[in-house]
Amino acid sequence: MAEKKKKQPFGSLRPDVDDILDWNNLPQDAFEPASSAEKESFIQDRESVSYWKDAWRRLRRNRVAMVAMVIVILIGLFAFVGPLIVPYTYDQVIPGANNIHPWHYSLEDQAAIDAYIEEHTGTANLSPDEAVAQAEAEAEARGETLSPVEAAKIRATAKANQGKGEENVTEKDAAKALGIKVKPFGYTQAELERMAAGESVFPHVFGCDNQGRDIMVRTMIGARVSMIVGICCAIIVLVIGALYGSISGYCGGKVDAVMQRIVEIIYTIPEVLVILLLGSTLKPIFEEFQNSGDGFLQQMVTLLGANLISIFITFGLLYWVTMSRLIRGQILQLKQQEYVTAARALGASGGRIIKRHLLPNCIGQIVTTTFLQIPSAIFTESFLSFLGMGVTAPMTSLGSMCSDALGGLNTYPYRLFIPAAILSLMILCLNLFGDGLRDALDPRLKK
Amino acid sequence: MAKYILKRVLMAVITLFIVICLTFFLMNAVPGNPWLSEKTPTQATIDALNAKYGLDQPVIVQLGKYLENLLHLDFGTSIKMQKDRPVLDIILTMFPISAGIGAIAIIWAILVGVPLGCLAAYKRGTWVDSLLRVICTLGISMPGFVVATMLLHILTGGIEGLKLFPTMFDGTAKSYVLPCLALGFYPMCYLSRQTRTAMLDAINQEYIKTARAKGLKNKKIIFKHALRNALIPVITYLGPQIAFTLCGGFVVEKVFSIPGLGRYFVMSIQNRDYPLIMGTTIFLAAFIIVMNLIVDLLYKLVDPRINLAKGGN
Repeated sequence: MAEKKKKQPFGSLRPDVDDILDWNNLPQDAFEPASSAEKESFIQDRESVSYWKDAWRRLRRNRVAMVAMVIVILIGLFAFVGPLIVPYTYDQVIPGANNIHPWHYSLEDQAAIDAYIEEHTGTANLSPDEAVAQAEAEAEARGETLSPVEAAKIRATAKANQGKGEENVTEKDAAKALGIKVKPFGYTQAELERMAAGESVFPHVFGCDNQGRDIMVRTMIGARVSMIVGICCAIIVLVIGALYGSISGYCGGKVDAVMQRIVEIIYTIPEVLVILLLGSTLKPIFEEFQNSGDGFLQQMVTLLGANLISIFITFGLLYWVTMSRLIRGQILQLKQQEYVTAARALGASGGRIIKRHLLPNCIGQIVTTTFLQIPSAIFTESFLSFLGMGVTAPMTSLGSMCSDALGGLNTYPYRLFIPAAILSLMILCLNLFGDGLRDALDPRLKK
Repeated sequence: MAKYILKRVLMAVITLFIVICLTFFLMNAVPGNPWLSEKTPTQATIDALNAKYGLDQPVIVQLGKYLENLLHLDFGTSIKMQKDRPVLDIILTMFPISAGIGAIAIIWAILVGVPLGCLAAYKRGTWVDSLLRVICTLGISMPGFVVATMLLHILTGGIEGLKLFPTMFDGTAKSYVLPCLALGFYPMCYLSRQTRTAMLDAINQEYIKTARAKGLKNKKIIFKHALRNALIPVITYLGPQIAFTLCGGFVVEKVFSIPGLGRYFVMSIQNRDYPLIMGTTIFLAAFIIVMNLIVDLLYKLVDPRINLAKGGN
């Protein structure tokens, strides 16, 4: 019978005659009442799937977003737990650790290298007079005399070589010539000696900067500053934007018109200029305020740091606009829905309607936008710090570390690339995770 | 249309006014004064200097005077960085350098970014698309200074034998390459992502189906029908992008030591040279606002379907 069936094109509306005729061939016992055991097994108890569970299930299937999340968590651990493990602090100057690389030679190797360098720079290090005397001796041996011009030439080259002499044979060359391999992590001379004596010393995994501060701890603290700035700014933007947008959208009419004109004006202000300006002017204002007395507010400022507060304010003033527009649009759409009319008919107040009916319905978009605010805040903070207007010494941030490293870029490239890589990785993963979050929370938007 | 233009221009003027006031009050709220840096001058000297530059009057009076002068295009004179040189003169000598680099950067970003976006959309789902997506996502996740310093390190001798470009900016054609490359990288990635989304949107439209039904060649469909319509949303991003490129110049100018307006702006803030900060802020703000205005109006020209007067989004 089955092979007799005509294949129907997909979506055809023609009734399947064969199938209908088939119904006559049902077995006799097809309509017996089900036993109670059968009934039991038919009813399945399933927990109702909440919105968040559903979203989490969708998110878990998104492999890119999950990898990004894991990396973000790892960076978070690095930034928040790391400083507790490493026995150095970000502003601690370690004696003798200036400019040490994130690699080291063992004590014997170092001694061999030093000896090699001394041995090989000796000849190149003739003083001008010695060089001339040597040349004269050589010339006499050949039976010639040295002209004064030639003598002057030799003198000049010897003089020029004198300073360079020691650099002619570098540690690297010496190590290569002696076949010595570097070992990972940096240690100071004193630490190496202590290790030789049997003590355990925590290594400087990324080396130290020109003032002898451990770069790994500074990177951790920098990443922590970036994350704090990102999260706090996102919260500030969320609070201001959600309040402003929902009031504007819910009230409508003249209130909305006025509020939207204000938004439009803030929207057209060139933000980077104002951020630079605010960042650099608010900081001294706060510092002065901080030093003006010992009240509660002053202590708060001291606790958070003047420069972090000024960054928060800058963000709070400028970046809520997008959020408020988005929420207003959603609310305008939602408030036409029947359930809002019903709530109003039941006598619910405006605040209750916003809180209970409107906001929960646009929560997906709000969460996504808030989350995507974090990488953008980190981006801007690093930009400010790089220009020297964000977080300032002795506090550090990834941006200011990159800026500090610019000077010795050719000798110590890792000083720039480590914080830059962590910064980029952090922003990248936050962006990817945010995209995944958007797809999970609002599947309609997925393309 | 006229009404819309008028409204937008009015908006722009109000915004500019707000920026001017904001800058002015912020400048005056900062503790310390511009005379402090070298030797600490006596109180009498400070008073005399303040009187000379009108800093002893109430802030409102100073603002009024400043606005009045501004109407005559008088930005005042620098009081610290280049003493007594008119601010407008300084701006006009520095701005062309920044603008030149910015223009080259944005042009290469458009010329490369838009075709790459098309390619990604056209080869959707293949490895080309994936590769481009990875590059572009990376590109918009790396802060400008990371790109700039990486280029600087790799291509100016950081890797042995790869000293292709000079480290310092000296105005020669070769020294333009790296800054422009660094500055245009972010907009390039951004534009390419936008173009891809817009293209995919356009490809699913009815008129593309019609074009296919008519039997048009694939190339013609892509370039004549899809791309033209996909470019419309891309243009909207161009306005903020131009502004961003100009401001991204702050970083690039610092990394490559380019004597442009962006670097000078940052330096003037650090030096508290009030007239110079005011002048550069107002100049840059005006430039960015006008750029955004022009792009918005162009938008209308490109797509006559958009009715701006009714506040279409």
